[in-house]
Formats: sequence, structure tokens, C-alpha cells
Amino acid sequence: MKIAIISWIVLLPLFTYAQNQDNITLSGVVIDAQTKTPLPGATVHIKNTTHDGLTNDKGEFNFLTGQHLPITFQVSYIGYKQAEITVNQRTGIILGLEAANTQLNDVVVVGYGTQQRKSLISSISKVNASGIKDIPVAGVDAQLQGKAAGVQINSNTGVPGDGVFIRVRGATSINASNDPLYVVDGVFINNTSLQTVSTGGRATSPIADINPADIESIEVLKDASATAIYGSRGANGVVIITTKRGKFGTKPTVTFNTSHGWAWAPQLWDLTTGPEHAEIMNEFYRNSEADAIAAGDQAGIKKYAQVPFRPVSEGGRGTPEEQQTYDRLHKLFRTGLLHNYNLALQGGSPTNKYYIGAGYTQQQADIKPIDFNRASLKFNFDQKVGDKVTVGTSNSLYRSFRNQARSGDGPQGGLLQSALHTPTYLPEVNPDGTPARYAGFDNLDVLLNNYDVNTTSLRYIGNIYAEAEIIPDLRFRTSWSLDYNHYDESEYWNNLTQLGAAPTNGLATSALTQNTTWINEQTLTYRKTLNTVHTFGILVGNTLQSNIQSTTSAQGSGFPSNAFKLISAAATRTSSQLWSKANLASFFGRVDYNYANKYFVEFSVRADGSSRFGANHQFGYFPAVGAAWRLKEEHFLKDVSSISDLKLRGSIGLTGNQNGINNFAAQGLWSGGAGYPDNTTSGDQPGIYPLQLSNPDLRWEKTRQTNIGVDLGLFNDRIGIEVNLYSKHTTDALLQLPVNAISGFNSYASNAGVINNKGYEVAINTFNIRNRHFTWQTNFNISGNSNKIVQLPIPVTYYNRDWVRLQQGYSMYSFWLYKQLYVDPQTGNAVFEDVNKDGQITVADRQIMGSAIPKFFGGITNNFTYKGFDLGVAFTFQYGNDVYNLNRFFGEGGGTRDANRVLFADQLNRWQKPGDITDVPRVTAYGNNYTLEQNSRFLEDGSFLKLSSLTLGYTVPKSITSRAGFQTVRVYFTGSNLLLFKKYSGPDPEVNVTSLQNVQGLDLGTAPQPRTVQFGVNVTL
Amino acid sequence: MQTRKYILPFLASVLLLSCKKFLDVEPQDAISDDNSAVITDKSSAETATRGLYRALSADAYYGSNFVSIGYLSGDNIVWTGSQSIIQQFISHNVRADNANIASAWSSIYATINRANHIIAKVPAVTDPLLTQQLKNQFTGEAYFVRALGYFDLARTWGGVQITLTPTITPADKYGIKRSSLDQTYNQVLSDLVAADSLLPTTTNRFRATQKTAWALRARYHLYRRQWADAETYATKVIADSANYKLVQPYSAFFANNATATSESVLELSYSATYTNSHRNSWQPPANGGTRQWAPNDAFLSLVNDPAIGGNRSALVAKTSAGLWYGNLYYRSPATDPAFVIRIAELWLIRAEARAQLNNLSGAISDLNAVRSRAGIPPSEAATQSALLLAIENERRLEFAFEGHRWYDLVRTNRAAAVLGVTDVNKQVLPIPAGEVLNDIDLEQNKGY
Repeated sequence: MKIAIISWIVLLPLFTYAQNQDNITLSGVVIDAQTKTPLPGATVHIKNTTHDGLTNDKGEFNFLTGQHLPITFQVSYIGYKQAEITVNQRTGIILGLEAANTQLNDVVVVGYGTQQRKSLISSISKVNASGIKDIPVAGVDAQLQGKAAGVQINSNTGVPGDGVFIRVRGATSINASNDPLYVVDGVFINNTSLQTVSTGGRATSPIADINPADIESIEVLKDASATAIYGSRGANGVVIITTKRGKFGTKPTVTFNTSHGWAWAPQLWDLTTGPEHAEIMNEFYRNSEADAIAAGDQAGIKKYAQVPFRPVSEGGRGTPEEQQTYDRLHKLFRTGLLHNYNLALQGGSPTNKYYIGAGYTQQQADIKPIDFNRASLKFNFDQKVGDKVTVGTSNSLYRSFRNQARSGDGPQGGLLQSALHTPTYLPEVNPDGTPARYAGFDNLDVLLNNYDVNTTSLRYIGNIYAEAEIIPDLRFRTSWSLDYNHYDESEYWNNLTQLGAAPTNGLATSALTQNTTWINEQTLTYRKTLNTVHTFGILVGNTLQSNIQSTTSAQGSGFPSNAFKLISAAATRTSSQLWSKANLASFFGRVDYNYANKYFVEFSVRADGSSRFGANHQFGYFPAVGAAWRLKEEHFLKDVSSISDLKLRGSIGLTGNQNGINNFAAQGLWSGGAGYPDNTTSGDQPGIYPLQLSNPDLRWEKTRQTNIGVDLGLFNDRIGIEVNLYSKHTTDALLQLPVNAISGFNSYASNAGVINNKGYEVAINTFNIRNRHFTWQTNFNISGNSNKIVQLPIPVTYYNRDWVRLQQGYSMYSFWLYKQLYVDPQTGNAVFEDVNKDGQITVADRQIMGSAIPKFFGGITNNFTYKGFDLGVAFTFQYGNDVYNLNRFFGEGGGTRDANRVLFADQLNRWQKPGDITDVPRVTAYGNNYTLEQNSRFLEDGSFLKLSSLTLGYTVPKSITSRAGFQTVRVYFTGSNLLLFKKYSGPDPEVNVTSLQNVQGLDLGTAPQPRTVQFGVNVTL
Repeated sequence: MQTRKYILPFLASVLLLSCKKFLDVEPQDAISDDNSAVITDKSSAETATRGLYRALSADAYYGSNFVSIGYLSGDNIVWTGSQSIIQQFISHNVRADNANIASAWSSIYATINRANHIIAKVPAVTDPLLTQQLKNQFTGEAYFVRALGYFDLARTWGGVQITLTPTITPADKYGIKRSSLDQTYNQVLSDLVAADSLLPTTTNRFRATQKTAWALRARYHLYRRQWADAETYATKVIADSANYKLVQPYSAFFANNATATSESVLELSYSATYTNSHRNSWQPPANGGTRQWAPNDAFLSLVNDPAIGGNRSALVAKTSAGLWYGNLYYRSPATDPAFVIRIAELWLIRAEARAQLNNLSGAISDLNAVRSRAGIPPSEAATQSALLLAIENERRLEFAFEGHRWYDLVRTNRAAAVLGVTDVNKQVLPIPAGEVLNDIDLEQNKGY
């Protein structure tokens, strides 16, 4: 890599441009045929020559050519139909372009190439980056929510830069990854979190390293004909991110963008006051005493004889009325600040083009002390070397800094456990003035003042390529890519926090993780049109990829004082090291053919060899075939003017998956790290133990996907409709299959299980109004996916208390609960469904209930422009998914957790007297009212409709800006999450406590996503 | 054009040839178990044996989980945390989906599997450095640990599936029916007999020796109500008074970071590298723990009574805010030993065995040895039944936070009277639900 870069720098000055001829001058202007406005940056090409040019900022072009009149121009410009115009004049040429009202003429990036949307066989969603880049979330993945049909995206937390739940056409795997493959400028980048410290269940997102401002466009490849070229990587879809590059022969432009704003949680939890809490506790004691008497439980009678909230003089905690209410939530939540700066320079000479971008983003979470900061530097450069060779490079350097905290699960250091789960009547300081701690939680003030957990991610993503035209139409490309991430974590818990309290006396962790992926890739492409109607293309290529991930971590405890923070000062020091490597070798090819742009067929195949599998199963073969028929080109539709385009598409193919499983999953292993002393003076001596069972038959998980689709354009493409139906059938699903524990193991890596996803996607894009001053455009998409585990040898449960269970015949992300039918109005007791009718409620009565998978989801975006104003309003929605509200599970404990847990305001609705109709049962320690965990009462509807973003911008008229030397100046306001319609009782139904991939929709101590407003300005020089 | 013709095939063949090597990647912190080649020489035999003790001391086994079943299910502890799976033990209503029993169960069998590897492979190793004496020692230790494993399984769940061979493939351990309780206990005895004949006669508090095997055998015979044998084996250990004695005061075996005192017959060792999470559940937040469970009022009044608890009151402590907590596991770094067998237990085993054999004077003198160490007056029990009750109550305090109370009350058929567990089905715990689901030959215990 290093050598390649150096030689490229050395060679650079040699690539000089020399061209001088004696010719005629052609000049003119390219305009919008309807509005007559000039179009800067349009591509003007003289037919049958190599002359290319771009219009300047006034829409003008100039050619020096040896051609003779008449001359035919081919003119193209994004958003306009390509035109072929023949002229018979040299100057004052006016080339008018008709606006293309749909995306049909868009160029779409596909695997290893580009295609025009109208000739696309496969199902690909393209998202234009400019529409989403102002949404203040750290990662581009979160920004995509609601923009691409068939892609379900949930941020699930208000912590900026944390992982995002993303599923392209459903979840296909249980233990291998369900995340799509991310390809940035041809580099397969890592999207698995490198986090090793605990933040209460969730993990950071490596995608958040990427600066969205550098992105030109995003394509999501969904069906098999699009993804099979990525073979083993394609089963969960492919997200291709193309970053900005300059244009050949354009003068330098500088753009500057900055925005500033605020972020806050729109809703918090309703808690009981101190007196309310005390009253319920007393009622709990009175009821429990009565139940103890009825049961003849002497110990219980004694235990519940006196209510806890009785006068202090009687040895109690004071009467309910005497209780104070302490508000911890509003100490924790804040209005976070958002700052964003981006500066870019781009342009090019006739032989080179460049893009240089720098950015800085700071996002404070709505919860203290969490924030996310990212600085980025981007350099893209392409150089023509003679007529046939182009070399180029893409380079991104990112530094992401995070102040982190444990918000979700786990009592120690847990922010929301401390602020939300502590009963409101308990004071924050002890009578002696020391910080009070309850129920194993940290003191909130101590946490807020002493939190010291942070991470710095340094990342380089880059590649260098050379592309050559070996003979006409045959192109060879070779590239070397690198994704390197240096991830530096540190945690320091001083002696005021619980983790660092005496006798630990300070606890520090430092972990350095390095993730290196290098990729070498060669492709050979040939594209030719014969007899004007037969167009075919051939692609062959190979890829070698190697990934190494290593972590070195150290931990120290016993610090002299809080002033000492480095592990070198600790009395006790331990360390550990991890190293893992996986290699992948791939060969691929694709042939496509179309006849007269009417009939299209495509065949692709990829062979992937993975070091993760046993010797006999290393290679997997992933073929796909697709076809399309453009009916509009048939004579019977040629003259139907209302239908401007109609295309039928179909594809079937196989993709694979091996991501996410352990690099050495197939091997039987004995591990070190089980040391033990030989005697009382020897100290630890090395020891080994059997780590995992081998599975020499471990092989690729395979997903067979079929897709049929229709693309319809109406009324001169003012309405574009795309409909897809798909089925994804996954076999040999990679699974940590439980093995009976008497073997000495809990599970082993195996191929067991069949998963099916079926779904539909509808995308409708319309130009409702388009005239000289006013435009109104609508993009709408809706998708539904039904997921089913067709085969699973035995049910597998996840998360503590086994809240989530995968079971044959049900969908993934299902909950496993006791179903509370009702609360008996006479007795106040909760009645549970006795599934096996044995008269008692046992494990056998737990059932699969609800699923975190929505029935449908999507988004609708309306964009308006009026003169200088632009307005974008984007809604996203999701319907029919369930959320298990663990916060309520703890907060509606009915008093069983006494002084250890808060009581939510919902608890006030408890049954109190015969005739009360409620679903909150009588508070008592006896029976099943509050002792059955996994109660279906806390399963809630997670549907929502959200105003995900609203942007209002104003572009200052050129007449004013040009006087100040600016090309364009736009000021704007962006709000996100401004409206949220939901049934869910918690603040935000888009929540998940964990980054475990099989657990979704479990809400525990997760900061809700913020509502934000920002003001900004874009300036182009 | 001519060269191009050859470049591609050449590149392709080079790539294909190097491909196999490219795709062969081995880990660096583990070794392959190919050809069962793991235990092949002295070094691998001794490291595997150490790994066996590390399994025994795992969090889910003697580290904390399994031990906690023994005391939580007794009558000394109150639950203060949020996970009602703990409350299930205290209220004797353990459900089959309780995560703690699942982890204890699999942790015990993982330990047994490690022992099986050693028993199967070490005797066959041909390495001149691995002397017969060392072979005997390692194999004897494995027999001992396996005996302890099946003993713990039997007293917790009843008769269980018995596996005596190392697991090589996932299918190895299917098709095994549960053995009866007697069969399971017989396996314990036969392993103990084997261990007795192989183990060295030295004293080693961190590892099993012949005397450790005797001590466990004393406990075994007590559970089996074979009083004379229990007395015999307890006496064999007690007789070695040069090495095993009741340390003074009670707290001397654990306080002030003590390890390997002469109180310990078998004590599992932890270090900064291999920590014991036990303290976390006991210590209050002020000391960096969660105090998930704590001594209950009834126990506090006993242990703090100078005539009953005596100097064993060192087991509990109080925070500045007035919260009582158990203080047997308290160290930082969390290196609290797991006290598997203490000499005090052998005194009380012999006391109980003698009482059952109607040797009341012998029994009372054994009991008083323990009482005197606790700094309390001699027992006044005069009859056999009074003496047995006195021993029961003594054990409740002496082993309050070690995993004995539940098993003691069950083996003496006192669980109904003392704990109110009248349903005999509830005197064994449920087999973990996930295991029953996964193995059709594993029958659930009655009543679950």
C-alpha cells in the first residue's frame, strides 16, 4: 500500500496534458426548455467524437473542434432527459433540455458499475444524499430511515453515534449478521462495533465515523440479481455509498456549510410522587398481611405486620404525607447543543478532478454527559494518464470522539437506573451529607460529576485504483483498499462511584482495538453494442480480502487517590489480548444483454472462499439471473401517451452469509487462560480447557431470493411507481445450536434452521406541480415484510429472564411471556392464561406473544420550492410492532421491590376495591400478581408516525449574493422528530436496550431520541 | 495482445494455488483439538488439570451461583434486588426457567467434562517427564473433582445423567437416561475410592489430596446416613491436627485477606486475574457491590447474639446508613476464596455421626470444639434429639454463607418443619427447562 502511494506521487508530475489543434469555435448555452433558465454543469458532447464539455455557471459552453457543420450535440444533465440536438451554427447555440420528472434516467450505481435506471433489472433504492444530510444523527444509516422502500431502520436510542437497527427486506439469520454490506467507493467497510467497554448493553456504530456531508449518493441493493455479485456478502442487501468527486474541466468551487441547534427529549416518564409511593407501599403491606393471614404464613404475618410508612416515632419511615419528592430525571436530561461545520473544495482540469472536504460535528445527547464529536478529512482525486488510463484515489480520515455512559441495563454506573429507577421519595444525600446510594445504583450527582468513559476512534478508509482501456470497450481495473480503525477506549471510575468505591479504590480500563481490512480487487469489463440493437456487457473479477482484529486491554484498581488516573499508578494491574483473523477469496462474473432496450437479461455468479469454514466447505457459489421487459418500447404502448414507461422485472438468485460468526467457529479448540495454582505458594500457573466443539461441516448460510417488480411511469413520468414483491428463503442458517449441557458445552456453531421473509415494497414518486416559480414533489414508500422461522431444531431464548424466544413457526424478535388475560374485578388478582390447563401457571404456560417486526413501515417526503424558498417535510412511520416495556416492568412492581425501585404513575391505577376495572392488579407479595416476570401486561404497541425532519430554506437571490462574491447563499432551518404520534406509554417506541442482534424492542433505561432544531447556512464560492 | 492471452490464466492459477493457503487461518490464543492431540505430555497434562480447578471455581459453580443455591434456599437470607429469580430460592418456588439453576447445571457438567478428558487421556500419555506419580496425581484429582460434581448434582437435582467420557462431538452425549439417586451416589463413591488410591498423601489446601478425598467422603457418608463411615473418614482428617485445626477466632479463616489457613481442607483460589464475583452480590453499594441479598432479621438476631453467634458475628457488618450486609466475601480485587470444605465441617460431621450412633459424649465434645472456637458456651443438649437439633443450629450459623443450609435441612428431612417446604417434590430443584427441551432423555423432576 505504502509503495503504491509513493509511486503514484512520484509519477504524478509526469502526467501532463498537451493538446493543441487548429479548429473552429462553437459556443452556446444550455437551458431548461420550459423555464428558460440556464443549466450550469450540464454535459455537452459532440456526437461521434471524444469532445466532452461542461457548461459553466451561466450555462455556457465553448468548444474548439475540427468537426464540420452541421453538428449533433448530445446533452445531458441530472434531472433532465438526455437530448440529441443538431445545429447548423457556430455561436449563439441554444440547447433546450426537457426536465425528466422521474428517476428513470438517473444513473444508478450497481455492483461493480453503473446503470441507467430505465435499463435496470434489479431492485435498487437510490437515496439522494442532499435530502437527508441535515438530519442531526451521527450516522448516514440512521438518516436513511423512511427513505428507501424495504429498508427498516430504527435508531433505538438517543445516544448519537450508537448502533442502528437496519434490515433490508427482513432478517435472514440467527447468529450470522443481519446487517447489510456497506461499500464506500468500492471499499467493503467494517460495520461491526469495536466497542469492548460496557455502556449498558448498546454499542457504537462504525458507520457513524463517516461524514454524511461527503456523500454524493446512496444506493441500497436489495434483490438477488443486484446483490449476488457480492456473493457471500449480499444476503442482507448492500448499501453502496458514493462520495463526492470533482468533475473534469470545472473551475474550483468552495462550499461551506454550518449549522447550530439544540436537542432535547420531548417526553420523560411519569413517576409517582413520594407520598403516592408511600401510600402504595403501605397498601402493599396491608394486603400482604391479609394474604399471609389467609395463607397461615406466620413469617409473613410478622413481616407485614407494620406498614413501613408510619410515624418516625413508631420506628417507621414517616407517614406518606411527610414524604418528599425528589426529581432526578430533570437533573439528568438536558438540552444538548449541536454544531456542524463542513468545508469543501472541488473542481478539475480536463485531465484531473478533485474533491477535498473537511468537517467537524459535535452532538450532545439529550442526556448528560453523553456526546459525539467527529472531525473528518476527505480527499478524492482522479487523473487521466493519456487517453486510456485513469488512476485515482479516495481517502477519508476520521476521528470520532465520544463521551460515553452506561444508560441501559446494569446497576453500576447506570444513568437511567440511577435517575429513573430510584424511588422518588428517597433523598439524594444521607443525613450526614454524603451521597446516598440505593438498591445497588450509583448516586446520580456522583455519576454526573464523575463520569469518565470515553472513546476515540481513528479511522482511515481509502483506496487507490488504476483503470485502463486495453482495447476499445475492454476495460481493466485494479484497486487496493484499506479500512483501518484504531479504537481507543478508556474508563475511569473514581472512588466516589460504586465501581471504584473502597475497597476497590478506583478502577480504570484502557482498551486498544485495531481493525484492519485490506482488499485487492481486479475487474475486467467489456461492453459493446452491435447492429445498434444488441448491447451486451461482460464482467469478470476477483477479490482477496483479509481482516485482522486485535485488542489489547489493561485494567487497574487501587489508585492512590482520584488524582491518579493512569493504570501505571494502580496497585493491581491485569491485562489481556485478543487476536482474530479471517480471509476471503472471491471470483465473480456477470453477463448482461439487452435487445433494443426492450428485453434485458443478466446472469451473475460469485464464488467465495472463507477461512471460517472447514476445508471441504470453504467455497460457496452464488449465482443469480434476472430479466426485464420494457413494454413501453413495444409498438402497442408506443402511442399510449399517458403511459410514459412500463417495465416488468424478475430475478432469482442465491446469496450467502458468513458475517458475524466467530472467525474460528468451525474448529474444535482448547483455550489457554484457565490458570490455577499448584499449591498455596505457587501463585497462578497456566491452565487450558476445552473451549468449543468442532464442526467440520460448518458451511455457508444461503439465501435464495426471488423478486418480481413493475416500474410504471405516467403522464410524461410525472408519476413514477415502483412495486416489488419478493421472497427470501434462507437455508443452512448459521446458528449457535444449543447442545445438551451434560456434554460440557452449551452450544456449537452449526447450520440449522430455515428462515423465510416475504414482502412487498411500493415506492411512488410524483411531481405534483412544476412551474417556473413553484414545484411540489412527493416521494412515498411503504413496505411490509413477514418473517417466519420455518425450521429450528429447538427453541432458543435470549436476554436474561428469556424474554425473547426464537421458535419454529413464529417470527424472529418474538417475546415469550405469560399472558395476563385480565384483572379479576372482584379479587383484584391478575388472571393468566393457563395454556396447558393444569390449573397452575408454570413455564409451560409461557407463550410467544407479539413481535418487534412491524407489519408495515415507510415514509413520505414532500418537497416544495417557491422562488428562493425550499421546504422539505418528511414523515416516517411504522405499524404493528411490539415493544416490551421493561421500565414499566420495574416501575410497576406493586411494592415487591420496596425501596429499591421507583413506582410509575401507572401504578396508581391499581385495583383497590371490588368492582375496579383495571389491568394493574392488587398490590401484594402473594400470588402471581407481581411475582411473574415476563408478564404480557408490559407488552405494548410500538407503532409510530414521526415528523422525522422538516427543513425550510431560503436561497438569497443571485443579484445580491454575486455582489458579495458568492455564487449561492442559502440559509435554512431544520427540525427533526418534531412530532411523534404513538400509543407506546414510554417516551419513545424506537428503543432497544441491547446490541444483541436477536433482541429487538426491549426498552430498559434507553435515552429517548431527541427532538432537535437547527439553523444553518450554505455558502458556495 | 499475445502477452495478454497468458496473463489472465497465469494470474488465475497463481491465485487458485495460493488460495488454499490464504484460506487457512489459525487462532493464536487456542489450539486445535484435532486428533484429540491436546493432552499429550507432562505440560499439557498439568495445564489441563489446572484448567479443571478453574472450572470448579467458575462463577456459576463454586464461585457464586451454585453456592448461593445452598444458602438462598435456607432461612438466613433476604433478597433486596430486582431479579426475582433470587426470590424463587428464598420462597422455595424455583421455576424450571430460572437462569441460575441453568448456569449451575451446565457449569457442573463442564467441570465433569474436563475431568473426563484427564481421566481418559492422562494415563495413556507417554512422556518420560510425566512420571507415574504425576499421572496418578492428575488422574486422582480428576476423579475427586468428578466425584464432587456428581455429589453436587445428586444433592441438588436427585439422580442425573452420568457421563464418564470426554465429549468430542456434539452428538456424543445424547441418548443417556437419568440414573437413579442411588446410582448417582454410587458413582460418587467409586470416583472417591479411585481418587483415594491415586492421590498423594501431602497437604494441599488449593488442590485435592488423599485427605481431601477423605473429607469429601465423610460428607458423602453423612448424606448417605452411613454414620460409622462418616465418623471414620471425618476422624482420619481431624486426626491430622498438625495440618488442620479450627483457627481462632472464627474470622481468622477469612478476615484480613486470609487465604489457605489451616481451617481449609479445600479452598479454591482466586487472583486479580481470576476473580470471584461473589462479593458483588453481598457488599453494599457503598463498598461497590449491589447487596442483591443480605442477612435477614432472624439470622441477624442469632448471629449477633453473643451466646449463639459468638465471634461469628464477624460474618455480618453494617454500613454507615444502617444497612446490614454479609461480609464473608468482601475483597478487592475480588479474590475471596471459595470455601469448599473446612475442618469445622468435619468436626460437625463427626458430631452428627456420633450423635446418630448414640455416642452422645463424643458428639457433644465435637460440637463444643466448634462452639468453643466461636466463643460461646458448651452445648447443654442432653438427649440425642436435642443434640441433633443443636448440631443443625450450629451448622446454620457456622456455614451461614456457605452452601450448606438447604442441603442440611433436606438430607435430615427437616425442610418441611423448618422452611415450610411440605411438598417433597420441591426438595429437589427443577432440571433447567432448556435442557429438558433439548434432550428427550432428560426427564423433568416431578412437580415442575
